[in-house]
Amino acid sequence: MSIETHDLSSASAGHTAESLTTWLVDRVAIYLQRDPAEIDPNEPLAEYGMDSVAALSLCGDVEEDFDLVLEPTVAWDYPTAAALAEHLAGELKAAGKS
Amino acid sequence: MLSEATAADRPGTALLDQEADASARAAEIEFGFGDPYDPDSPVGNARLLEADEAAEISAAGERVLDELKLNADFVPREFGGRLDRLDTLVRVMRQVFRRDVTLGLGYGATSFMAAVNVWTAGSEQQKRELAELLLAGGKAAVAYHELAHGNDFVRNEFEARPVDGGGFLLDGGKQVINNADRAEALALFSRTSSAPGSRSHSVLLLRRDQLDPQRFKTLPRYTAVGVRGCHLSGLEFDDCPVPGSALVGELGQGVELALRSFQITRSAVPGMAIGTGDASLRTAVRFAVGRQLYRRSVMEIPHAKATLSAAFLDLLICDSMSLAGTRAVHLLPEETSVYASAVKYLVPKILSEAMYELSIVLGARFYVRDGEFGIFQKHVRDLPVLSLGHAGSAACQATIIPQLSRLAKRAWFAGEPAPAELFQPRTALGPIPFDRLTLASGRDGLSASLIAAVDELPSGSPVERALHGFALRMMDELRQMQEEALDLSPQDRTALASPASFALADRYAVLLAAASVLGVWREARGGADEFLADPSWAATALYRLARRLGQKLPDLPDSCAERVHEEVLRRFREHRSYDLYDSPLSA
Amino acid sequence: MGAAVRYQPAEELEARLGDPWDPDTEFSYARCAQLDEREEFPAAICAQLDAWGVPGYYVPVQHGGRLDDYEQLVQLMRVVARRDLTVAIGHGKTYLGGVCMWVAGSKQQADALGAQIRAGVPVSLGLTEQAHGSDLIGGEVAAVPDGRGGLLVSGEKWLINNATRGGMLALLVRTDPAGGPRGFSMLLVDKRELAEGTYQYVDKIHTLGIRGADISGIRFDAAPVPESQIIGAKGGGIETILKALQLTRTMCTALSLGAADHALRLVLDFNRERRLYGRTLIELPKTRSVLATAAADVLISEALSIVASRAVHVLTEEMSVVSAVAKYLVPTSTEMVIADLTRQLGARAYLKEVYAHGMFQKVDRDHRIVGLFDGNTLVNLNSIVNQFRTLVRMYRRGAGDTAGAVAAFDLSAPLPPVDPARLSLIARSGSGVLATLPDSIAALRDAADQVPALKGAVAAAERLAEAVDRVHDEMESHQNALADVSPQAFETARRYTLCFAAAACLGLWAHNHSALAAEGAQGSDAAGFGRVWRDGVWLRAALDRLLVRLGEPGGVDARGAASSGGDGAAYEQLLSDLCAARDEGELFSLLPLRLAGRREEPQNTAEGMPC
Repeated sequence: MSIETHDLSSASAGHTAESLTTWLVDRVAIYLQRDPAEIDPNEPLAEYGMDSVAALSLCGDVEEDFDLVLEPTVAWDYPTAAALAEHLAGELKAAGKS
Repeated sequence: MLSEATAADRPGTALLDQEADASARAAEIEFGFGDPYDPDSPVGNARLLEADEAAEISAAGERVLDELKLNADFVPREFGGRLDRLDTLVRVMRQVFRRDVTLGLGYGATSFMAAVNVWTAGSEQQKRELAELLLAGGKAAVAYHELAHGNDFVRNEFEARPVDGGGFLLDGGKQVINNADRAEALALFSRTSSAPGSRSHSVLLLRRDQLDPQRFKTLPRYTAVGVRGCHLSGLEFDDCPVPGSALVGELGQGVELALRSFQITRSAVPGMAIGTGDASLRTAVRFAVGRQLYRRSVMEIPHAKATLSAAFLDLLICDSMSLAGTRAVHLLPEETSVYASAVKYLVPKILSEAMYELSIVLGARFYVRDGEFGIFQKHVRDLPVLSLGHAGSAACQATIIPQLSRLAKRAWFAGEPAPAELFQPRTALGPIPFDRLTLASGRDGLSASLIAAVDELPSGSPVERALHGFALRMMDELRQMQEEALDLSPQDRTALASPASFALADRYAVLLAAASVLGVWREARGGADEFLADPSWAATALYRLARRLGQKLPDLPDSCAERVHEEVLRRFREHRSYDLYDSPLSA
Repeated sequence: MGAAVRYQPAEELEARLGDPWDPDTEFSYARCAQLDEREEFPAAICAQLDAWGVPGYYVPVQHGGRLDDYEQLVQLMRVVARRDLTVAIGHGKTYLGGVCMWVAGSKQQADALGAQIRAGVPVSLGLTEQAHGSDLIGGEVAAVPDGRGGLLVSGEKWLINNATRGGMLALLVRTDPAGGPRGFSMLLVDKRELAEGTYQYVDKIHTLGIRGADISGIRFDAAPVPESQIIGAKGGGIETILKALQLTRTMCTALSLGAADHALRLVLDFNRERRLYGRTLIELPKTRSVLATAAADVLISEALSIVASRAVHVLTEEMSVVSAVAKYLVPTSTEMVIADLTRQLGARAYLKEVYAHGMFQKVDRDHRIVGLFDGNTLVNLNSIVNQFRTLVRMYRRGAGDTAGAVAAFDLSAPLPPVDPARLSLIARSGSGVLATLPDSIAALRDAADQVPALKGAVAAAERLAEAVDRVHDEMESHQNALADVSPQAFETARRYTLCFAAAACLGLWAHNHSALAAEGAQGSDAAGFGRVWRDGVWLRAALDRLLVRLGEPGGVDARGAASSGGDGAAYEQLLSDLCAARDEGELFSLLPLRLAGRREEPQNTAEGMPC
């Protein structure tokens, strides 16, 4: 089963905090079996049932799609989609991938 | 085909009365115990746990059962008791087993197990005397074998040597007898001839007060991990004289009598323990509904929800099989040998597996011996005791295995289906035909009813189609089993039976459970019980049974799980039993 | 490395503990049965373990202890566990108390704790609370600043091993009122320094098994603890404990292996001694099948345990998967083995005085705790489900640390020190153990050219490899379910653990069989050495069992035909190896371990028992 998200793989340039937020919300919506519109980027993902152990696996998706290695606990330190996206954007920029 | 043993020839009012009496009696017992969570109740869970800790049978529980005259339920109506039907006895006893297996066995079931020998083969006088004793509140104990001989009860060391001029001298020990220290009557399986073979044993019925106290003694009590309050001990005899009138049935008929009695007790006892499974499920539901974990109730966790529904289905499977097994004693007595063993083999197994799964939902609470959920671990410890000794799973399989090839040749895909009444929990039956039980049969109406049903099953809704598909698979399974059973070697009919033949007996028991489920659902269709009439439970139950057979199956329609889950919750909230009867419970 | 010294510390401890069947032995079965009945803590036995120096093995070498090899530690605990789980858990809990410190503490903190442990101070671990169970993030025990640079701890931990006996407690506390995964810290509390009234015990909790264990609750009321007692970073408690649990979950396999060994031995003796229908029970085909199946399952657990304990050193980054697999599969397999063996004992399994001090029913009750603590069955399966996406992706690429896996398999490879900094909450590169599967099968195929008895194993391994592919397909179909994990996903995770065990067995065999079978053939003084390695006996039985447990047709299948289908000869040989190990006073094991006393005498068993 492929994951239908906005195409924002590492090949496409110009990641912004907004575009990354959309990417994350889409992802999380799939995992939580919800409509992306239901997910407020400024609410902690835990509020939607993404518990702390489940959140660890998000770093694998980032690594896969952006070729960026993050600590698994990144979603603990940036618990909302918006915060995480902002952090991601910064990391991508630092890595020269943005 | 209607068996002449049904109640069809009895007056119509009796038919209604049986059901009214049975449900009233079950309710009387249930409400006699009151709310298990009432902290002030002398027979609530907390007090029963204390009794268990102290290795005592609950005195308050025994008083409740004395007042309710539970022993009357073990005595046939014609001797002044209430016993008409085996399925009713199971239904009544289930209320006791829901509270406490120790009371179920220690107060009741063992007296019944002893008495069955007498109802089956005793003289009129023996029957009358035992009935009198039981109705006066006395207990009977039964001893089939010694520990050193395990289930191999024909190699018995305990002797009852016939003496000149009639009578016997009892010599040797009997171990692990429930109520050995306090039963007024004792049914002892005894070697009465030193010759090898199956005609060397007899059953004796003794009155404790007629034994020479110098010549027998009660051995020290055992402590067991389960049913800690039961009075398990042994008896030792030293050339203790007993009169010839103690003999039950004919000299040398002990093995045959025991095997016939087993057909009744093996059919009945497992269904009683469904009450224990009910209480365990109810405890787990109580936990799941009340406990918050990961920001929601445990009941909202899909795995927990599925496990609780699965346990409920297992109880319905067990009850369907128990129903068919107990009613077969009335309706298909010639076929009961195999069914009784299948019930005794499979029902406790399914119950203990279900309780294992439930324990995972309870998590660490399962391990705590007291408190709100402490009763659960007690049930887990108590339940296996039902599968000990002469009715152990291996003993039951050993009864089934030698009959498989004959059934495969003659019965499967050949015989008449069982009468519809076999599957009707509330339909009246004639008395228990103790004299018509036979040791082996070449017929199998229960599996035939599954085969006959396959062509008549509806296939309108997705659930009905799923159910139909599973039934077809069961039919294929029987065909496969038939081939394998025909291939069994003569050695497979002995103690040297291969693991494959044990596995075949296991699968056959599962198939009989499936036939029972299908039968119960078909008879419930269009009936007053909307849940039982709905194919959801039956489809899911067959799914579970097919999985047990190792089949890989298409998923069920989602509506099945939802329907079953709703019912689990409804029966919890409304305090209704988790079995075929949906009967009211005290709260 | 000589065969007889492979598990030298464990063997020495066993010798010191003496014959468990001799009631005059301090750590005897009879004594343990009595203590259990009286719900009494086995203090004298624990003192004996202290005197021998077991606590030193709970402390890493770099902090002054003797722990430099987790494989040895598992064996040490197995020796204790096969006598009594109450002792193993009651004593071994100090390792649990220390482990967070080894994972995240400063050198100074860890050295200090190490010294305490070596001096015999019991340390306990306080994680769970009555209302929250395995939901650690729900914890309410809080540590708040006292305004003077210290912390005040309040709240109740429940179901804590050694809460009262422990001198110190590693405590998970909420340090951010808002909670969340960064809202907790691990705190080392020295109870001896707390003023009276700042803490009290909740009554002993009466448990189904390990009745003598010191399990209770402990309630703190503004107990002052210096902030310097926080282990690692403030807010890092959840991360630390999750990493530490990867180590303790691996260690838990020792408890199950010990229990399984004990149960198997009790039933084996009974079945060899007891006569029925003119034969001993062990002559009956059904009995042989039950025993041989149990023996194979025990060896699968052992293989997995060996690989997992070595993986701590060489596959450290993958321990989130390895430990979850081991902690799920070994205890549940052992529960299954015990349940199957129970039926062989009949009434003897339930009565306390009738057979072997009633030890069987005790093993059964005691062992049920192993599946419940340190992350229960569902927690472990859930953590595997959460890693499905990575595991599938990496499996398809053949990724995973295969070099590390080989080092875990190859028992002659020296183990490097454990670097706790390499522990990770997820296995980024998937599983090296599974990635070695094709190589291991190729090695088996090569070996089968020389040893025809292995042909069946090759076929079984190839069928397993197909099953492994299918299981990964199933995993893919569940890989997005992170919130409401379905029962089907749990079932898939269960199947994954069996695949993992298959890869572990094949890897362990492929990298050791020539060395071990050769040593066995030489007939060294360790007579049983290499016994089960001859003709790949253990592997053949193990692969067959794994196929059956995966529900794959063709093995000794669900229809139970141990002697008709599958590799009946392997089971027969395994059963005779089991009997031989028993007769020669050795642990039934992949690797030899001499037991105390020439032979244990359960009851009236005689020499020359049939097998």
